[in-house]
Amino acid sequence: MTSYQQTSEAMGRWKMAYTALKKPKTWAILAIALFFIILPRLGSQYVSYLILTFFGYAVALLGFNLLFGYTGLLSFGHALFFAMGAYTVAFFTSKFSIFPMEIILLVAIVVSAILAALIGAVCVRYIKIYFAMLTLAFGMLFYSFLIKFYYVTGGDEGMRVLRPYLLGYELSAIPKMQFLMGGYYYYALVVLTIATWVMWKIVSSPFGLCLMAIRDNPEKATYLGVDVKRYRWYAFIISGAYAAVGGVLLAPVIGQVDPTLTYWTHSGTLVFMTLLGGFTNFLGPMLGGLIYIFLQDKVMSLTTYWRFIFGAILAFLVIVAPGGIAGVISSLVKKEKSGR
Amino acid sequence: MTTDIINILLSGVFYASILFLVAAGLQVVFGVQKVFNLACGEFYALGAYTGVVFVKIAQGIGLPLLFSLLPLILAGLFLFFIGPIVERGLLRFVYGRDETFQLLLTFAVVLMFEDVIRFIWGTSPQSTPGVYLAYGQINLLGAIIPVYNLIVIVSSLVIAGLIGYMLVRTKFGRIIRATADNREMSEALGINMKSVYTKVFTLGTVLGTLGGALVIPATAAMTEMGVELIVMAFAVVVIGGLGSMKGAFFGALVVGILRAIAISTYPELELLLIYLIVIGVLVFRPEGLFGGSRA
Amino acid sequence: MAILSASDLRKYYGEFCALDGVSFQINEGEFVSIIGPNGAGKTTLINVLTGLLTPNTGKVFYKDKEITGIGPEKLSKLGVARSFQLVNIFPNFTVLEFLMVAVVSRLGKGTNFYSSLLHNQKVTTEALEVARLFRLDEKKDMLTKNLPQGDKKMLDVASAFALHPEVILLDEPTSGVSTSDKGKIMETLVSASKKIGIKSIIQVEHDMDIVFSFSDRIIALHQGKILADSTPAEIEKNEEVVCTVMGQKECFKIFSTLMHESTGRDGKA
Repeated sequence: MTSYQQTSEAMGRWKMAYTALKKPKTWAILAIALFFIILPRLGSQYVSYLILTFFGYAVALLGFNLLFGYTGLLSFGHALFFAMGAYTVAFFTSKFSIFPMEIILLVAIVVSAILAALIGAVCVRYIKIYFAMLTLAFGMLFYSFLIKFYYVTGGDEGMRVLRPYLLGYELSAIPKMQFLMGGYYYYALVVLTIATWVMWKIVSSPFGLCLMAIRDNPEKATYLGVDVKRYRWYAFIISGAYAAVGGVLLAPVIGQVDPTLTYWTHSGTLVFMTLLGGFTNFLGPMLGGLIYIFLQDKVMSLTTYWRFIFGAILAFLVIVAPGGIAGVISSLVKKEKSGR
Repeated sequence: MTTDIINILLSGVFYASILFLVAAGLQVVFGVQKVFNLACGEFYALGAYTGVVFVKIAQGIGLPLLFSLLPLILAGLFLFFIGPIVERGLLRFVYGRDETFQLLLTFAVVLMFEDVIRFIWGTSPQSTPGVYLAYGQINLLGAIIPVYNLIVIVSSLVIAGLIGYMLVRTKFGRIIRATADNREMSEALGINMKSVYTKVFTLGTVLGTLGGALVIPATAAMTEMGVELIVMAFAVVVIGGLGSMKGAFFGALVVGILRAIAISTYPELELLLIYLIVIGVLVFRPEGLFGGSRA
Repeated sequence: MAILSASDLRKYYGEFCALDGVSFQINEGEFVSIIGPNGAGKTTLINVLTGLLTPNTGKVFYKDKEITGIGPEKLSKLGVARSFQLVNIFPNFTVLEFLMVAVVSRLGKGTNFYSSLLHNQKVTTEALEVARLFRLDEKKDMLTKNLPQGDKKMLDVASAFALHPEVILLDEPTSGVSTSDKGKIMETLVSASKKIGIKSIIQVEHDMDIVFSFSDRIIALHQGKILADSTPAEIEKNEEVVCTVMGQKECFKIFSTLMHESTGRDGKA
């Protein structure tokens, strides 16, 4: 590239950043980010605690939607990788006495990527119902492993999660809530931010375009030279790794991991969150996760029959608004724009 | 040794009989409407809980325990109205849509029914004490077999036979097979899809509720039984082949007997073994033993 | 030099023989039309040539490499592309994005996870180039599903062209298009292929005017066999081809021509 081209590319980037700043979307995102940053200072520990659980799910949902929204594959077993991540923290802290969070994250990513590569190699040969069923089967297989090998995994009682070291700092002296609301909150927020940024790069890349092509018309994509199975496999691996990171973030917050983390209904929860927020939008699933967590908390406090309400909501979503909340917002925006 | 084998075989076939009923319900709905009904487990659970209620009522009016089979079957049949409610009320809105959305809707039904059951019966297990034993036991080649198991096996075979007869000899059965084979053609030939769908879904529902009702004397109705059963039923239809009745029959036998073997030898392996086989089937022969086209 | 050749292709669907010993050679620089009545085996032939179907016997060669049944994905990387009779699109993509998929694939950037597509000058520019060649550049930001049918067809073909293949197979490129537009479309295709550097075009076509105006060679297929494989001028005179492939009207024309010729020579009726 000549220096003229380099300069013009750089200028192009500045121009893009400038135009982006003018859009209301960007301001909204910045505002939300700011809100998350100052939240723990605002007082309500309980809300901050819920947001903390949200961070874990948010990362997992980013990965899940790469597979569902962008590649068109519905996995009913994604909680498997989520649980993998969570159990990694439990194992490392309570069994191996290895506490640095960074190491745990790295190991979780590597192990789940390998597992996803193996499982994915089997699953991506199939689509739609068969893919959903196969992933459900793997999820339940993992569940049975966790239950049956109880002498290693603690069976259905699960395992304890001890406090990991953040950036090398051993913080066990601090009381739990303070740890969670303080250092751990910002640590998780940073991980989430990085994860979001990386996923954004992925979906805006040529690879992302190919995934969407595969989603919309796999036959045509093949004719354009796109290796459909291989790219689905890559997407599966990335999304598995993301789910594991999410599980790692969640584990210290809940303090205890157990096999229900990989039960098929938990995978169903991930799907629900994605659908609720809207799978056609990059931030949709995260929005869905946030709303789900708070809604569940609220509804649970009002009635024990929260599942019925959530089931009804899901039914409503599927029938009336499959685009989720993001879908509804974007169609309202379109109406406004065309109305003017 | 022989007694062990007979015990395992018979308890396996007993469980297979129940699985067959639920799986048959799954298959007929999938074959005709192409919907994999995750909620069949909930229908099974409903059948179980309702079975307990009917048996208690029967006992209340003085029916001897020996005749408890009657209220159980009635309970299963009684719940037929759930079929049209779910089908007309929810499922019909997603018929044209992507399979994944249909699957998600059935998941929503699972969630709702979980709580309906909780609401009506609470969380403590319900059972029909004494019924199982009232049927007594017989001695078969040295093994002691509960008579109730044999009755259920026979009932299931009878139902299988009835279903087979219906599919082959009756007009409704022919319609089912035609629609499963080629929906557009059937519609073009004037078959009322709406009513077929409702009837088929109701049939599937009743098979599930019957399965649940019949299993009650041998076990107890518990909160998680629905979501646990779908895991087994799913294994059955994969092994047997999605959409195939024969598949439901043989798949149920495979799963039932495997499970019985696993429980009596290495209980830890129960779910593991079955799921390894499910995955093996999906990998090497995704259409199962009797299924149609590949994914 | 032969760029695409088929050797003794046979394809059976159960008892039914769709291709019965088809052999031919396409040379560099040729525009070949495959004609034949419905059921002659034209689509089966295209599917076998593009690796979608594996023939029961027989081989397909691209240059000197055997490509029988290697699948459309590998084939497009080697340099053979095709378009579809029934439009095959990405409904929710913009025209530009559609073409970018082909360009991304050609440039091997499919596994590029990290760079932003929008800022990739090369991909965007090349996609725009193709759009311009097919007069779709003004509609570059329109969603494919909102395009008129004719443009959808053009886009489908354009995306195959965007792969810069050496050989392109077009399955009825002007079907579903009004007669007055057909000529224009063919002109666009031919000039685009020259600009991109496509060496040979093979098309399946029913419209005889198009076939005769543009082809260097015509292959007539009937019941899975090749009836004739020669220049348009020779095909016109071949009464077997004319009658079976082109229909009754043409058949009468040829008979009367032949009769005139024979009476002319003998001087008798």
